[in-house]
Amino acid sequence: MSAASKRSFGIVLLTSSIVLSAVGQLCMKAGMQGLRESPVALEATWSALRMLQEPLLFAAGGLLAYAISMLAWLAVLVRYPLSYAYPFLSLSYVLVYLGATHWSRLMETATPLRTAGTLLILLGVILVSRTEWPRGSKGVPGPGRT
Amino acid sequence: MNDLILFIAVGCLTASQVLQKLGAQRRLSETKSARQWIAALLAPELIGAALTIAIGTLLWLYVLYEMDVSRAFPFLSLGSVAVVAVSRIFLGEHVSLYRWVGVLLITVGLTLVAQS
Repeated sequence: MSAASKRSFGIVLLTSSIVLSAVGQLCMKAGMQGLRESPVALEATWSALRMLQEPLLFAAGGLLAYAISMLAWLAVLVRYPLSYAYPFLSLSYVLVYLGATHWSRLMETATPLRTAGTLLILLGVILVSRTEWPRGSKGVPGPGRT
Repeated sequence: MNDLILFIAVGCLTASQVLQKLGAQRRLSETKSARQWIAALLAPELIGAALTIAIGTLLWLYVLYEMDVSRAFPFLSLGSVAVVAVSRIFLGEHVSLYRWVGVLLITVGLTLVAQS
């Protein structure tokens, strides 16, 4: 792989880890919420299980997305310094916030304070992203701009 | 007591990140195939990383039952600062001033997000 395609693969991995962990959180939340709202959650009969199929699928899908995001994270760590990559994970909070306030299944209320916090996180990540990028062969991050 | 558990939880989660980084660096970077990659997941560093993240997450969930999220979350967000600090101390990474400022902004942002 050329240096440029290595770099874009690293970005793909980092993005997958962030997005999948947010999707995982949101699906688990939607799934568990569906289970909780269902009037028959505990004394579930077969028909009730069929009713619960969708929330259970969401919860399980969420867990799967979460697991994959952890594997993608390990692949990210092969390519980037920890102190550079880790702050990017906070972007998943931003995605979770956007999802929780806009996804029709969840529709939580947005507050000015939370929105301000989300913007601060975004600003912080932008600052970190401008400090250094991986260079050099074999996925070993070299000195970049600091 | 809950503060102590929270502190241990953040410590475990931070330690897990260092172990994951060490594992990725030492065991995953030289792998040639997907099979080797999966086999390398059983390296001591990565098993340790899995254990510490599991313990940290369980303790965190316990604390969430006992404590208000708006109080617990700022501690957790301090974990971001802790991870950068240990990257510098134990992994020898260079952390520039901008990176520190960025991480501090993120920590403040996370604290605000947890307030209702």
